[in-house]
Parts: sequence; C-alpha cells; structure tokens
Amino acid sequence: MIGFIKKDLAMIKSNFKLLGVLIIVYAIMGLMEKMDISFILPFMCVMIMISSFSYDNYNKWDAYSISLPNGRKNSVKSKYITTILMTLIVSIITIILSFIISYVNTKTINYEQILVTMFGTIFGTLLVLTIMYPIIYKFGVEKARIGIFLLVFGIVIVGSLIANFLDLSIVLKSLAFLEDYLIIILIIITIMMVCISYKISEKIFSKKEF
Amino acid sequence: MENILEIKNLCKKYDNFELKNISFTLPKGMIMGFIGENGAGKTTTIKAILDIIKSYSGEIKIFGLDNRKNDKEIKEDIGVVLDDMFFPEILTPNDINNTMQGIYKNWDTKMFNDYLKEFSLLPNKQIKTFSKGMRKKLEIATCLSHHPKLLILDEPTSGLDPVARAEIIQIFQSILEKDDCSILFSSHITADLEHIADYITFINNGEIVLSKTTNELLDKYGIVKCTEKEFKDIDKKDYIKYKKSKYEYEVLIPDKKEFKTKYNISVIDKITLDDLMVLMIKGEA
Repeated sequence: MIGFIKKDLAMIKSNFKLLGVLIIVYAIMGLMEKMDISFILPFMCVMIMISSFSYDNYNKWDAYSISLPNGRKNSVKSKYITTILMTLIVSIITIILSFIISYVNTKTINYEQILVTMFGTIFGTLLVLTIMYPIIYKFGVEKARIGIFLLVFGIVIVGSLIANFLDLSIVLKSLAFLEDYLIIILIIITIMMVCISYKISEKIFSKKEF
Repeated sequence: MENILEIKNLCKKYDNFELKNISFTLPKGMIMGFIGENGAGKTTTIKAILDIIKSYSGEIKIFGLDNRKNDKEIKEDIGVVLDDMFFPEILTPNDINNTMQGIYKNWDTKMFNDYLKEFSLLPNKQIKTFSKGMRKKLEIATCLSHHPKLLILDEPTSGLDPVARAEIIQIFQSILEKDDCSILFSSHITADLEHIADYITFINNGEIVLSKTTNELLDKYGIVKCTEKEFKDIDKKDYIKYKKSKYEYEVLIPDKKEFKTKYNISVIDKITLDDLMVLMIKGEA
C-alpha cells in the first residue's frame, strides 16, 4: 500500500517547481492587492492529479499494477490517499498565504474568512476530483475529459433551469439556520463524497479488464 | 514433479477472438517457451494468469493455489515483464526502488542496485530517457529483485536488436544458474527459446496445438523433403502437416525414427521452432 502512494507522490513531485512558481505569483498578486487568485492552487491540484492519470494511462500502469500484490485494491486506494494529501497540502499553503496577505494588507486577521476559504478550497477541490475519478476509472482519462465537460455543462443547464423556476432567495432563507454549522456540514459532505466516490471507483476497477 | 503453474480449460471469448480450452502445466524449476504468432493468444493467456482479465472460465493454479482467491500471496512470489506495461516513464529507477520497497515483502534494494550497475542504468534518470533495450533491462531488474519463484515474461525480447536480445537471453540464463526459479517465457521469436526452454507450448488461433519438452520436439520431430510421388506414398497418420513448394514437399513428421523404418526417404531435416511454427500455421493437414 505505502509503495503505491510513494509511486503517486514521486509522479507528482515533477510538478512541484510549477507549483512553487504559482505560489510566488499568488503571493505577489495578493500582496500588491492586484487580484485574488486563491483559486489557482486548488486548480493546479486538480490538474496535477488528472495528469497523473494520463501518465499512468500512457505507460499502462493500471494493467501492470494488477500484476503486483493487492494491485487492484491498492492502485485505487493510493490515488485517493494521494489526492487527499495533495488537497491538504495545497489548502494549508493557501491558508498560510491568505493569512499573510490579509495581515500585510489590512493589519487584521479575519479568522472566520480564512477558515471558510480553507474548507471551501478542500471542498471544491475534492468535489471536482471525486466526481472525476469514477468517470476516469470507467472510461479512461481521455474520454473522462469529455465526460466532465458534459457533466459541468449539464449541471449549469439544470442549475439555471431550477433557478428560473424557483425563487432561490426563499430557499437560501430557509437554509439560513444552517449557516452556523457551515464548516461541519462541509466536512461531513466532503467525507461522504470521498467515501462514496472511492467505493464506486474501487468497484469499477475491481472488474476492469485490460 | 511439483507444478508451479497449472492451467485447465481456460476459455475467454471476445467479439473477434477466443481462447479455447487452454490447458498446460509448468513444473517447478523449468522454463517453458510459450510460442505462437502475433495475436495467437499468448498475452491474453498471461493476462488471465495474472488476473488482468477477469471474465474467463477454467482453472488457474499457481504454487498450487487458485490465482483469484489467493491474489496477494501468489503475487508476492511472481516477477513479471509485460509487453508495453510498466511504470510511468517520468519516474526514475530510484522511484521504482522506493515504490517496490513498499509493495514486496522480499524486495531487495541491494540486488536491484546491483542489477542497475550491471545493466549500466543510471538510478536518477527518468525512464523516458532510456532506449528500448535499457527499458527492458530495467523491467527485468524490477521483476527479479524480490526473489520471485515464478517469472512470467511476455515478449521480453520483442522489438529489440539482436545484440540486446542476446544480452537479455544471457541474463535469464545466468539467473537460472543461480536461482531455483520457474519461467513462463512468451515469444514469437522462437530462436530465443531453443537453447533455454525445457518445454515448448505452442498456441495458435486461441488453441494449444502442442505442449512438449524441447528435447522431444527437436529430437523426434523432423521435416521430410520429398517429391510429390514420394509424398503420395506417405500415410496420413505418419505426418502432421505439409507444405507444397515449387519443387518439393515439406512434410512435418512427429517421429523421425519411426518414419525411417517405414519409408525409404533419405532427406529428413532437423526441425527448428521456426519451421515448426510456420508448418503448423501455414501447412495443410
């Protein structure tokens, strides 16, 4: 199991230089109060993880991994653990930078805002990845790109249709009592999302043939 | 003799191809050459052995255990070189070493590093910078460094130049001298197998055509070269396949000695695995 995680981390490390550059750009933009690009690091996290599937796919690692002890299970499990690790690392970097930028610019620290940013980052990153992974395991990384595009497109269409028929302000008002529990709710939803996505991916991969 | 690998009635159906009742056994400490033309079913059989394909019928036992029920236990003792399947090429031999330490209980870092030195592979270079021969050597180093009891090699010499092929065959020969390891060696380059394989299993169009010891095949089988008149005198029971060329008939016979006692045909050539494959595939019954 540890070996599979080490392999995924070794693949990701080649992106660390680019990640470093982006952190510097993010810090400079924030400190100069030019633009808030806090989305850039989670976005990079998503891209790095997806590219790790592309490398796996190119050299048929998935098929090879099955020839290793417990390969079918550990190959999927390691991808999820590496994803969680990467998301946490990126979120911690984001939070530290937000902390510094907020303090330098305003001489005050808005803890609540920073916490929401951090959990929002984790939630957003994992939301995209947990939706993508079962699709990647089922259809392969190339087809999954199209699938994800269609999925996002579908969500936007359905969302806008719902928004047309429903008065969202009423919905939001009725959910206002949840505001105090926002972070806990986000954590619970995130954990559930990861667990469900993992179980689906594991099932798909356990039956997959190469 | 204890069998390391036993396959019984393995069947797998695709839209345009089918494995039909594949059965053979590999005794302990032996090398089996698994031959057949491209697309004959060698890789599919190997994928079934390793559980890379799932929906097949039949029984596969490795070390006496069911390959699907005892996956982890079995794979700890198997080393594989698969055709075009390996670690992502942005990784380095050092990354492979770190990974495998966490995968195999018996992973031997010293052995792996010794192989890297022996094969002149730089540990910090990305796999993508290696030539095809170097990649194969890295795959071989990886498959050997956890002291496997069974090696499954799918076309390990395919696409290599003659020098690299000879080098790789020599590596396997030296491993056999050192370790008590069994090998299933699939190849369509049969010359690689003639000198090292104890058994030959020949697959054609998804079916096992023959599975015999190499000595039996090369000593007993032969090719009779004769005229049309001579060929017409040969009983159908005494040959397997024949091929008609412009001036003569090439006839594959299963027993040279017996043939000599029955017929007065003097030109009986020794057979090579290449001849055998060509006659079995292209010859007429």
